[in-house]
Amino acid sequence: MDTLKVRDAQEVEDAVRAAIANEQPIEIVGHGSKRSIGQLMSTNAVLELSALNAVTAYEPNELIITVQAGAPMADVLSLIDSKNQQFAFEPMDTAALLGTSPGAGTVAGMISAGLAGPRRIKAGGARDHLLGANAVSGFGESFKAGGKVVKNVTGYDLCKLLAGSWGTLAVMTEVTLKVTPRPESERTLVLRGLGDVVANKAMTAALGSPYDVTGAAHLPGSALRTTVGALAEIAQPDQSLTLLRLEGITSSASHRAQSLRAALKSFGDAELIEDDASAALWRAVRDVEPFAASGPRALWSVWRIVCPPAAGGAFGEQLSRESGGEVIYDWGGGLIWAALPPATDGHAKALRQRVEKIGGHASLIRGSDAVRAGIDVFHPQPAGLAALGSRVKRSFDPTNILNRGRMSRGSAT
Amino acid sequence: MTILMPEPDQSVLARRDEIIAALRKIVPGEGVISSAAEMKPYESDGLMAYRQPPMVVVLPSTTKQVSEVLRYCHQNGIKVVPRGSGTSLSGGALPLADGVLLGLGKFKRIREIDFDNRAVVVEPGVTNLAISQAVDHAGFYYAPDPSSQIACSIGGNIAENSGGVHCLKYGMTTNNVLGCEIVLMTGEILKIGGKAAECAGYDLMGVITGSEGLLGVITEVTVRILRKPETARALMIGFQSVEAAGQCVADVISAGIIPGGMEMMDKPAIHAAEAFVHAGYPLDVEALLIIELDGPQVEVDELISRVEAIALGCGSTTCQISTSEQQRLLFWSGRKAAFPAVGRISPDYLCMDGTIPRKQLPLVLRRMNEMSEKYGLRVANVFHAGDGNLHPLILYDANKPGEQDAAEAFGADILKLCVEVGGVLTGEHGVGIEKRDLMPEMFSDIDLNQQQRLKCAFDSEGLLNPGKVFPTLHRCAELGRMHVHKGQLPFPDIPRF
Ligand SMILES: Cc1cc2nc3c(=O)[nH]c(=O)nc-3n(C[C@H](O)[C@H](O)[C@H](O)COP(=O)(O)OP(=O)(O)OC[C@H]3O[C@@H](n4cnc5c(N)ncnc54)[C@H](O)[C@@H]3O)c2cc1C
Ligand SMILES: Cc1cc2nc3c(=O)[nH]c(=O)nc-3n(C[C@H](O)[C@H](O)[C@H](O)COP(=O)(O)OP(=O)(O)OC[C@H]3O[C@@H](n4cnc5c(N)ncnc54)[C@H](O)[C@@H]3O)c2cc1C
Repeated sequence: MDTLKVRDAQEVEDAVRAAIANEQPIEIVGHGSKRSIGQLMSTNAVLELSALNAVTAYEPNELIITVQAGAPMADVLSLIDSKNQQFAFEPMDTAALLGTSPGAGTVAGMISAGLAGPRRIKAGGARDHLLGANAVSGFGESFKAGGKVVKNVTGYDLCKLLAGSWGTLAVMTEVTLKVTPRPESERTLVLRGLGDVVANKAMTAALGSPYDVTGAAHLPGSALRTTVGALAEIAQPDQSLTLLRLEGITSSASHRAQSLRAALKSFGDAELIEDDASAALWRAVRDVEPFAASGPRALWSVWRIVCPPAAGGAFGEQLSRESGGEVIYDWGGGLIWAALPPATDGHAKALRQRVEKIGGHASLIRGSDAVRAGIDVFHPQPAGLAALGSRVKRSFDPTNILNRGRMSRGSAT
Repeated sequence: MTILMPEPDQSVLARRDEIIAALRKIVPGEGVISSAAEMKPYESDGLMAYRQPPMVVVLPSTTKQVSEVLRYCHQNGIKVVPRGSGTSLSGGALPLADGVLLGLGKFKRIREIDFDNRAVVVEPGVTNLAISQAVDHAGFYYAPDPSSQIACSIGGNIAENSGGVHCLKYGMTTNNVLGCEIVLMTGEILKIGGKAAECAGYDLMGVITGSEGLLGVITEVTVRILRKPETARALMIGFQSVEAAGQCVADVISAGIIPGGMEMMDKPAIHAAEAFVHAGYPLDVEALLIIELDGPQVEVDELISRVEAIALGCGSTTCQISTSEQQRLLFWSGRKAAFPAVGRISPDYLCMDGTIPRKQLPLVLRRMNEMSEKYGLRVANVFHAGDGNLHPLILYDANKPGEQDAAEAFGADILKLCVEVGGVLTGEHGVGIEKRDLMPEMFSDIDLNQQQRLKCAFDSEGLLNPGKVFPTLHRCAELGRMHVHKGQLPFPDIPRF
């Protein structure tokens, strides 16, 4: 396999042009931490972006940061942290879940994967924070999308398409992201022992309250049984945890935690966990630690299911009961991570039939090559949308040179 | 009028009667309007300097009718311009002489309110404010709040990705929409997203939002609603210089505070607003900031005092803090009425809309003053200070020869300046026809071609709202060509391992 380690945007353009001329599909890689996600590809050339790793501009007062595509996530996170800022969408670190080396991952890789953590319910996802990008299309042309200011409606918002497109539309060379102040403090209310459906109701009540909840997750006892780290420290055998997070200035977070605790009285008496201990809990939820690849569930498929939040509890409960698997809930029930025991199709067919009925969709995030080869890794779309998606793909990459086949089987994307 | 629109297709105009008859079959009764007098109200949108009667107005009331109208127009090579409430300030809904104006005003139903999923499903003609009103009894609201919210439609908001005073903290339309039903120019009906936080596949909802009616006709929308904050209070702070006010904005943000709203007015705007609504604005200051904090009582009280201290540190000369809801609304009344207020001191005005990096504000205001002298026209400024979105209002008199042209040239210079200092041509009103010919200031041909290729994926014949957003129209086939030289050496000096 040819690996081309490009050093600047011009080299990216040259490389893509050459790939087009040679009809040689290329795989785009940052650090490669997510290479195991997606459809198996048959490209045998790799375009590696990790040398494009500079921070171009960081202006804390303007709430933006511009970095080259291959900038290491770890460096960028510590840089903005030093100015008391954060990416509000709280992107997840997939290292534990996928069993890749800790500390890896580039900014563009994170944006291309479009993954967001618990705060998505309040702050939006990766797509909401990508303000601008320079990229090279499958036409071999460098183009820019968006801008470098927080408010912009000039032309089509191509950034929205790039986020979550898994490198199938264009190779990003530089991105501008929105940053926000880090909250002064955080508080987590913990309810114990609720069933999934009741927990879902508690989360719904919390999210519908005026107390500005920024995280709402539920971990059934079964999913906690084998976990380690922060969650294990507060877990009790076979007892579920329902976590609700409040953030902001200290006086406000404390006050809201008390008000919310009172409002949720009928669901039980909530414990309060503060600051660092609270942050550790949410990191574990964000990174789906209970399903870590190093744990006993290493051979289980892991699915990421997105659905209407209030439908999550009943759906997840039935899914775990019938499949013998385990689930955890984030986004108030709107995001379900499911670890399911081995099955030839990773349970794709049964899972998807059911999830479509509640208006949701499911993607396989961890699965063996055999499973990935046999199913649609990303949720298949209805015919009309799939056709439009293919036309969109062709409008960026007419010869399907970029990450060919990563997003859908046997078609253009 | 300096904007060129696509040449009307004479063969379409020649078939006008036949086309109207066919459309009447699809949308019976009063849903097709063809007399010159009745079409008059549709001749322009909020950008009233530009007027053009359409060939015919069609007002469907079902998705099926929209689909059939579009399919018919697609098959017959007829252009279509979608229209919501017609409040666009960039001319997005300006009709075409040889086109159908497709009004969505009859799509007025709220289809579903789902408090558990914090989602509301509405038809596109529902006004922005009506959504908040429909969920108010349960303590919820829809966050994006353009000043035109009593009139503008949610379909138009999506097409324009509208924002308002709240969007600094709560995001623009794009951050608050979950899904839609869209009808493509071919008549094909697609459902994108729903009540889940994300849709599968490419983020088509994301690109439709802000697409200015060029990609498809929106016939249903699912939006996210939020619980109303417990309380809101505002500070009204005066400064002796715009720089000091700008510093205060930067310092508030550096302190980690994101207010519910943070607006600035310059001296001419303060005077016009005060004369109009008597909000009690100080008249001896150069810049006035209105900063609103919302949330739980304890939080708001504490942040108010933090902001007050920051303002003092920046040299504020007056500071009032609202102690009642009435007073808070009074502070806002002048800002919210700034446009009509300026309308009273000048026969005509042009409202510009560009975004700049906030630190460039003093420079931009200084250069604007120089331009004001050069063109001999006054300018008043209201400004979404928190996110760098400027609204310079250029005052002129259309009855004085040359003034309108001068105002337009002045406006174009301001937008070019915005781009020059690292900003963009429009922060919330859209490109439409108004800023169409300025697009090359911000985007290269390649950038624009890439955007137009996307258009081709949705509308391969370019029949939906042509002449808007893009300064040059291209055929899709031509845009699809690849310009790569064969025989180019593969990866000449790229290191490999
Ligand atoms: C300490 C630490 C903390 C972290 N915390 C977070 C966190 O809070 N939030 C978070 O999200 N992540 C975090 N991460 C990392 C993160 O989870 C991802 O692993 C990482 O960002 C993915 O980058 P990659 O380069 O390895 O992806 P890859 O596997 O190389 O690529 C992922 C996808 O993106 C595509 N792609 C890559 N580069 C480009 C490009 N330039 N243009 C177009 N497509 C491209 C690929 O083709 C592929 O489809 C953290 C990592 C560390 C080390
Ligand atoms: C006094 C005043 C104050 C304003 N304040 C603000 C403000 O604070 N923030 C802001 O962002 N804007 C503001 N605007 C601009 C305007 O109100 C917004 O752009 C609004 O979203 C337009 O909505 P509309 O329904 O009137 O759309 P229209 O003017 O009818 O159409 C606007 C565009 O949307 C397209 N469109 C409309 N409906 C559909 C549909 N269903 N499907 C597909 N395309 C469609 C049209 O083709 C056109 O391109 C203001 C306007 C006025 C007059």
